[in-house]
Amino acid sequence: MRFKFLALAAGIIILSLFPIFQTNTYYIHMVERILIYSILLFGLDIVVGYTGQVSLGHAGLFGVGAYTAGILYFKLGVPFLIILPIAVIVSCLFGALLALPALKVVGPYIAMVTLAFGTIIQILINEMTFLTEGPLGIIIKKPIIFGFQTKEIHYYWIVLAISALSLVVINRILKSRLGRSFEALRDSPVACDCMGVSVYKYKVYAFIISAGFAGLAGSLYAYSEQYISPNTYVFELTVLFLLAIIMGGRKTRLGAIIGAAIVITLPQLLGDVKLFRIVATALAFVVVAGSALLISKKMSTVRKVAVPVIGTVGLMAFSYLIKNISDWRLSIFGFMILLVVYYLQDGIVGFVNNFYMRIFSSKKSARDQIDVGNFDKDDAIISAKNSSAPDQLLNLKSVLMQFGGLKALHDVDLIVKKGTIHGLIGPNGSGKSTLINVLTGIYVPTSGTVEFSGSSIVGKVSAKIALSGIARTFQNVQLFNEMTAIENIMVGLNHTYKSNLFEIALNLPRFKREELAAKQRAYGLLKFVGLEELANEEARNLTYGKQRLLEIARALALDPNLLLLDEPAAGLTAPDIKELLLIIKKIKDKGITIILIEHHMEVVMAVSDVVSVLDFGQKIAEGKPKEIQNNPKVIEAYLGAQTT
Amino acid sequence: MLIIKDLESGYGKVNVLKKINIEVPKNKVVTLIGANGAGKTTTLRTITGMIKLTSGHITLNGKSIDNFPSYKVACLGLAHSPEGRRVFPSLTVFDNLQLGAFPRLTGSRPRGDFKGDIDRAMELFPKLKERRNQLAGTLSGGEQQMLAMARAIMLNPDIILLDEPSMGLAPILVEEVFKIIARLKAAGTTMLLVEQFAVGALNIADYAYVLENGRISMHGPASKLKNDPAIKAAYLGGH
Amino acid sequence: MDIFVQLIYSGIALGMIYAVVAFGYQLTFSTSATLNFGQGEALMLGSMVGLTLSNLGINYWLIIPLVCVFGFLQGTVVEYLGVRPAIKIKSEFGWIMSTIALGIIFRNFAENIWGRSTFRFPGPFEDDPIKLFGANILPMEILVVLGAVSMMLLVEIFNRKSIYGKAVVATANDRDAAGLMGINTGLVITFSYALSSLTASFAGVLISPLTLAGSGAGGALGLKAFAVAIVGGLSSGLGIVVGGIILGVSETLTGFYVSTGYKDVPSLIILLIVLSFKPAGLFGKTTIKKV
Repeated sequence: MRFKFLALAAGIIILSLFPIFQTNTYYIHMVERILIYSILLFGLDIVVGYTGQVSLGHAGLFGVGAYTAGILYFKLGVPFLIILPIAVIVSCLFGALLALPALKVVGPYIAMVTLAFGTIIQILINEMTFLTEGPLGIIIKKPIIFGFQTKEIHYYWIVLAISALSLVVINRILKSRLGRSFEALRDSPVACDCMGVSVYKYKVYAFIISAGFAGLAGSLYAYSEQYISPNTYVFELTVLFLLAIIMGGRKTRLGAIIGAAIVITLPQLLGDVKLFRIVATALAFVVVAGSALLISKKMSTVRKVAVPVIGTVGLMAFSYLIKNISDWRLSIFGFMILLVVYYLQDGIVGFVNNFYMRIFSSKKSARDQIDVGNFDKDDAIISAKNSSAPDQLLNLKSVLMQFGGLKALHDVDLIVKKGTIHGLIGPNGSGKSTLINVLTGIYVPTSGTVEFSGSSIVGKVSAKIALSGIARTFQNVQLFNEMTAIENIMVGLNHTYKSNLFEIALNLPRFKREELAAKQRAYGLLKFVGLEELANEEARNLTYGKQRLLEIARALALDPNLLLLDEPAAGLTAPDIKELLLIIKKIKDKGITIILIEHHMEVVMAVSDVVSVLDFGQKIAEGKPKEIQNNPKVIEAYLGAQTT
Repeated sequence: MLIIKDLESGYGKVNVLKKINIEVPKNKVVTLIGANGAGKTTTLRTITGMIKLTSGHITLNGKSIDNFPSYKVACLGLAHSPEGRRVFPSLTVFDNLQLGAFPRLTGSRPRGDFKGDIDRAMELFPKLKERRNQLAGTLSGGEQQMLAMARAIMLNPDIILLDEPSMGLAPILVEEVFKIIARLKAAGTTMLLVEQFAVGALNIADYAYVLENGRISMHGPASKLKNDPAIKAAYLGGH
Repeated sequence: MDIFVQLIYSGIALGMIYAVVAFGYQLTFSTSATLNFGQGEALMLGSMVGLTLSNLGINYWLIIPLVCVFGFLQGTVVEYLGVRPAIKIKSEFGWIMSTIALGIIFRNFAENIWGRSTFRFPGPFEDDPIKLFGANILPMEILVVLGAVSMMLLVEIFNRKSIYGKAVVATANDRDAAGLMGINTGLVITFSYALSSLTASFAGVLISPLTLAGSGAGGALGLKAFAVAIVGGLSSGLGIVVGGIILGVSETLTGFYVSTGYKDVPSLIILLIVLSFKPAGLFGKTTIKKV
């Protein structure tokens, strides 16, 4: 932490002194552009790195920022300091507009949607000549601030100050609950919704914040270049931005800056073909020699290294064939993207980090950085005993869930009493998981009513239902894999925050207070399931059994009245199961009602107050565990008859 | 026929299977039973290359098939009827059967009497004959299971892996499925049968393995395991 | 009125081209849930290679199969370099970025080989229009429609009738299960890419005599064809024909009555609207998400 702060301070000092020692405006302008691109990349990284979506619309948003500035300056003569915030707001609006179609879709669809959006922006800039002057472009002079006409060097300092500020703000946002929510919705959108963190809402936030930074960068760019025209904000620019992000490294600010520096300096560096030939030849030699070494040490096979070897040797041959490098600029960028996507997936920063980790094997200590406070582990769970919920906490009446011709749930009635553990058993495919999905709003039942705590939840979205007090775990564990154990739980605690974006950006006291409280409670919940030693371990590195426990702890963070456990004992060893039973009982003692789906009969029979049996989507029996065990229908359908 | 030695595999960093050993001799039916999540399906998926094995060896007919892609394993004569049936819903019943014989029709395996085999499969599963030109997606669960098994037979395989053929079927259909397995057994088909419905599996198999949390906890002749008190308590219902 | 009908005719012809390219998206999407973001460039390459062959004095009808062979190879390259490694590491980001990168490389190569200007592509017919329902229609436009429809039908028949086609459908249905049948699903995916680029370059040769051939032709086209695939649904054959016609006609009408600069806008707006309200497309089936 301290180290990072010092590095940042040192960086800012060096950069602010730079134009004093290097007076050539060409270089000053180049660094200025790197800084402006960095601002955009900080924002783009929210979408690409954190929420894991590919945006091909950021050149468009950049253009929106630039043209907002250009139009306000050219048509209305609005001063610089007013233009900046307006450009940010306008871009945010466009970001929201972009988020609208992007929300309902994933992956390649989002890429295409954003591409369409970017294309439309470009067409509009070109065609709406009454506003944008079309292909002629707009000339903009360096700003006058409080009557002082700035020059290149002054503007450089302004850009530096704004980018430093952006860096701090974005760091705070990404370290806060917002950043956690963004990552969570990438790792498991379903779990995210079921933790009361609406995927819908946070995707919009991500796009808006990202667009804001793109707009800021765009308006600064307009003043920096002093001329804007439509053919800057094209598809190639978007691809360049993406190349910068993945090459520098996702999810790191340093990566964004490195990426920006590379994509801006590279065309200059490769300006003459001789230099390009030297670089390509050197690269080919390094790759060939490296591959030869790896093969001789049996650390790789000929097949594995074939593509990079052929690729780099081909690049070298190519470099001697061409005469003019600038014509081939895009091919070189394309080639770099291919290389980075498959051989440098974590980017330069990630690569160096991994390398560093491997050499020094510095493992993060489990307990540092967590101010655990004096939290008793049992206090971490909010008791549901005093809740005003009716005695019949959950009431399902003739619920039908139909998929095409298949009736996954057929006329199911179910009443779950407050404070009980309600077991739910049945063969595979009998509709248990479907029922849980209906209860958490993932499926909307075809017909029938579902009342929770006295009000209907049919048709409500998952996040709403979760916030109203239904928490769940998943049959196939749905953790936020790339986040640490404690962060996973803090996503579940998202509902305890009241602070808004500005309080986060400015690090105001209420936000700090809430963050500390959440951290302490999350630690308490980890203690409750016995995972406090692993608080800073990434969820994907936990063993299967521990992942299941973490899921339960995360569900409890929601302060639920009703907890749905979907096969919590699957894949657990015998001692793990004992521990699980204790935990389930403790949760019950807190007054939290539980629905328990389980195949391990001993678990169901040991803790359940009532057991319902599903078969072919129908409830075939219900009663005390003992009764169920001796029910002939149940034995035939599920426990196994001795007839065959 | 099929020998699994010290097999370990799993998803990501988590090993689900821990050093398991299974042997399926020619013309025998071997069953693998165990609770949900014990690793039964993982075992089969590792055999047919859908999951990478991290250590151990699998040999088929004396030939190593470690980490072979699924299609190569099939071409070597191992048919795998997967969990959840997995018929091709937008193809007809006949097309599904034809694809079961894909390696035979494309020269990877001897062609044999393809037409005759289709007729025999239809005879074994009369329901399929009626539905010959119907899309597989419109079949009922039981019929889909029949189709999945028929499709596996169409390979003319040396060994068949059956993953939970009784899953999600009504008791009466379960009975029918097991009758067909019995007929296949009588015809000398080598099979590895994975079942959660342990009673049926133990009744039909020659030899059984019990999988618990990724380890073989017990194995022996099926008739012996059937009467083992521990097995009875754990898998044959609570009495 | 005549103008209007004529615009409809050329809109339909254009729409059929979009449909063919969209059909290419469907082919790869069904087998591997991936698609080539450089599909428009495949069309452009098809028309440029065709033009080169034409300049060598080769007959138009002979050019078509030659370009198809080229497209087949080009698609194989795209799959091998761009998609296969991404499928192996299960990276969606990977194949999106690498097919974009390959698209950029292809276009840049084309610019360097053929320059940036556009060329007339000689068609097989004279440009004498035929009267149809009171408006003029070019023989080439009829050929485009027939060619596009027969190409899609051919592929469909192949998929339905031959055992290899059935293997393609099986891979589309369920890749794991197809593997268990002894089908080399990796090869099927490569093949679907080859076929997809083949149809795109075929479309390039078809449309170029009507428009012009040039290295910049690919850009917006891939996106508009995607709009067609979305409107029609990524799984519906009839859908893309209807979608293609809607978009093609909206484009020619906008180009004439509003301004050529805006001609791409309606398709893009339609794309955004459809995705906002019915992501599975107008003709697609909504799939159930398994949890």
